[in-house]
Amino acid sequence: MILARIWHTIRGERRFPTTVQVFRRAKRFRDEGRFEEAAALVARGLLLDPDNVVGHLLAGSLHAMLREMGKARTSFERVLALEPTHPRALLGLARIALEEGDTGACTDLVTRALARYPDFPEAQAVLDVVRSLPASAAPKRPRSLEQSAICADRLRLPAESRETLLARADATVIFAQPRGLLTEEVAARATKLARIASVMLARAGLGDSLNHAVIEGAAETTYLRADGETVLTLSFSGDAKVATALAHLERVWVNCRSELSRQAAPNRVA
Amino acid sequence: MAQTGNTVSSTIDARPALGRDFRSLLGALVALDHITGGLIVAPDGLLIAAQLASGIAAEPLSALAATLGRQLELRGPQLRRGTFPMAQFATAQGAAFLGSTPVGFIVLLGDASASWDVVRGALRAAVGTIHRAWAG
Repeated sequence: MILARIWHTIRGERRFPTTVQVFRRAKRFRDEGRFEEAAALVARGLLLDPDNVVGHLLAGSLHAMLREMGKARTSFERVLALEPTHPRALLGLARIALEEGDTGACTDLVTRALARYPDFPEAQAVLDVVRSLPASAAPKRPRSLEQSAICADRLRLPAESRETLLARADATVIFAQPRGLLTEEVAARATKLARIASVMLARAGLGDSLNHAVIEGAAETTYLRADGETVLTLSFSGDAKVATALAHLERVWVNCRSELSRQAAPNRVA
Repeated sequence: MAQTGNTVSSTIDARPALGRDFRSLLGALVALDHITGGLIVAPDGLLIAAQLASGIAAEPLSALAATLGRQLELRGPQLRRGTFPMAQFATAQGAAFLGSTPVGFIVLLGDASASWDVVRGALRAAVGTIHRAWAG
């Protein structure tokens, strides 16, 4: 063996790397953020060894990084076809299921990952998120009583606000202006964001109760106020001053809480 | 000694190649006043770089940050697809700031005194640097 290496060195021959070496190098490139080089190596490695679990796992990871979720799913499924309880592939599919709003599938996949590999903090974190979400991703139907009870005038909505939404933590819409076909879905999205953010903030040591959020978009900025029971969002044009918009948010929030308390009071007396 | 937002922004803007040097980029952002830590995560949750206070586990935080970032990226709270340049999530104790880039998400953790305007300026510069580095 040593003589062979010396002989190759003397002759200047380069040995072809094994697929193990190729994928190891690809992983190093990926971890360094050199995604194009990593992807090229993975493609080369999989040509040499089409059933390589590490190769398909890396391919899934790289597709996910490039936001190619359909291709990522195919790669992760290929890993599971080769190794049915591979925890990283299960987590990859669980994350895709969560993005698609399929909390049941996400829970199942991440639970399988943890059963195979209990000391898996990323999987545990995703499980924490999915457990914090309502069991069904389907938006809640509005309750007519709540719809009629909240009056926009009482909330003193700022004229600059383009959209206002008040929802319960389970995504039940309490008030929306304007109201449209997508309002329930918007409520589901907003409450989901608030829950995921709360879990993340807790893990970051910043407390487990999201107070407010500012989310900049291409055309407008959404301001979100929340507690454990209710979520309020107001959207303003991107030109609006943050301090002004936050002041509006807080004022409307106080008014919303006051209105909800006013509604609850007669029920308690009755 | 923490740097001001302007100083960090100038440093980041000056060197497009820095857009691929994630650790240096993160190091400059974490030096901002009242920023206590940060990380850069890929959209699949892979931790690319981290500078966190002891006691904060990087892996679960990176998984959660990627989950939150992807939710924002797919559809914001008002259901408009497309860009989400940055976001802030605040509690009484502090805040997490997220910036979206082609390689994933920059996450900064700050105390309750962290200035959204300063952090936003620095994050915007960092996001732009990464965009330029990855556009070529």
